[in-house]
Amino acid sequence: MLEVPAQVWQKVKTNYIWRSLFRHGYPDSRKNQSLAVFTNVFLHLHPVKVRRHALAIPYTWCMGGLSFFLFLVLTLTGTLLMFYYHPVSAAVPGADDAYQDIKDLETVVIFGQFLRNMHRWAAHGMVITVFLHMIRVFYTGSYKPPREFNWVVGTLLFVVTLVLSYTGYLLPWDQLAIWAVTVGMNMVGATPFVGDEVRFLFLGGFEVGGNALLRFYVLHCVALPVIAGFLMAIHFWRIRKDGGISGPL
Amino acid sequence: MTVPRGPQPFPGQEKRLRLLAFVRQDSIVRVDKRVEDTAMVWPHLLVIEFIAAMVWALGLFVVAALFNAPLMDRANVDRTPNPSKAPWYFLNLQELLLHMNAALAGVIVPTAWIVFMMTIPYIDRSREGVGVWFTSQKGKTVAVFSAVYSTVLTVGLVAADFFLKKAGYAEWATAHLPGGKLIIPDVVIPVLVMLILPVVLVVLLKRLYQANTREWMIGVWTGFLATYVVLTFIGTSMRGPGMDLFAPWALPPTHD
Repeated sequence: MLEVPAQVWQKVKTNYIWRSLFRHGYPDSRKNQSLAVFTNVFLHLHPVKVRRHALAIPYTWCMGGLSFFLFLVLTLTGTLLMFYYHPVSAAVPGADDAYQDIKDLETVVIFGQFLRNMHRWAAHGMVITVFLHMIRVFYTGSYKPPREFNWVVGTLLFVVTLVLSYTGYLLPWDQLAIWAVTVGMNMVGATPFVGDEVRFLFLGGFEVGGNALLRFYVLHCVALPVIAGFLMAIHFWRIRKDGGISGPL
Repeated sequence: MTVPRGPQPFPGQEKRLRLLAFVRQDSIVRVDKRVEDTAMVWPHLLVIEFIAAMVWALGLFVVAALFNAPLMDRANVDRTPNPSKAPWYFLNLQELLLHMNAALAGVIVPTAWIVFMMTIPYIDRSREGVGVWFTSQKGKTVAVFSAVYSTVLTVGLVAADFFLKKAGYAEWATAHLPGGKLIIPDVVIPVLVMLILPVVLVVLLKRLYQANTREWMIGVWTGFLATYVVLTFIGTSMRGPGMDLFAPWALPPTHD
């Protein structure tokens, strides 16, 4: 009975196309499990073996990985949201602008509300997971040598996460958005010596208006994700180079 | 032709040695640990990662299906909501803003903290306690002590500010202090408080627990966490119209 599917499976596995995709057999032996990890572009950031305690949820809380997972969710939902969104503020109420796009997302676009909800809650979630990851890393002493620099990179990633979330806060262009950003920008404006200039740089004007919306949009959708991507590449790479996940000496 | 010693390779399969990689001692998979201490990433780690991702994806679906993201009226620069609040993760800074100079609260304190955070591994350089939660039992004690110390002081300071303002301290300061309210109450006192209290904490930890660098660092970090959480909570749930202090269960709604 089972011979036919087994033969088909065998055919598939020895097929020329299949073998061009996968350079190894089914990962049920040590050798193939190793090959599965380091011949796969998505898995090769992992080592082939990890120390056992690295698998323990009470040790890692999974929070670094989940932060990255949420970043991927945000990239995906964010890209979909970009199809429906114009970073435009209308002078006339009721005209087509960013706020109307959000309204349309909620009422016209199929699953639009769901998409926006996913993006919003994942964004809050990522601030929390990054924070928890930082807490875990601190209390387990994982910043200690040789991982000093990766802690610095992680701190920068924490800041980038907050700024990403903050720039996204303005985009719905509702009362919550513009006044939260006004409060934040007034804080920035209090920077000694260059406060007004920095504030103007962010807003493209003296108050939160159309230019600010465009600048926050570009920062949120292009500049900051690219920066975060670079820092994450360094962060993940350094985990490997600094001896893998921390653990008792 | 001289034949090399040892087992002979098959024709066409002569082995040569190449330098494939230069690997530092730290990077090698644990020379001092036995094989039993390690696990294959495929399947052991990947299964955990997959399950974690699925559980979180499902959780996110459920949350997104049940709760809608907030959307208020169209942005209007002429209608200021009272109170206007920053996103929750910045409400701790907005709370600081009520107690001190704006540059201090909004820029200098957070920048100083971020810079300090980046220097932590360059101050605490011992490798003792890596991979162990709180390093030791003493580390846990220190963390609890610091959490209580910081929570009590932060709540106390916010309360003191509340009662002093009620008693007309701001008016008194404007009339009687050199530079009025702007220098001593808004800059000098907050700076002294923010410098002295952590130093007192470290001194206490050294005196009471003979804390080493790692242990007092746990104390300072825990102090930051406690302060961050307390200030975020106050800023989120206890600040109403006019940024006045309210009980969390009696917080009036935002109005224009």
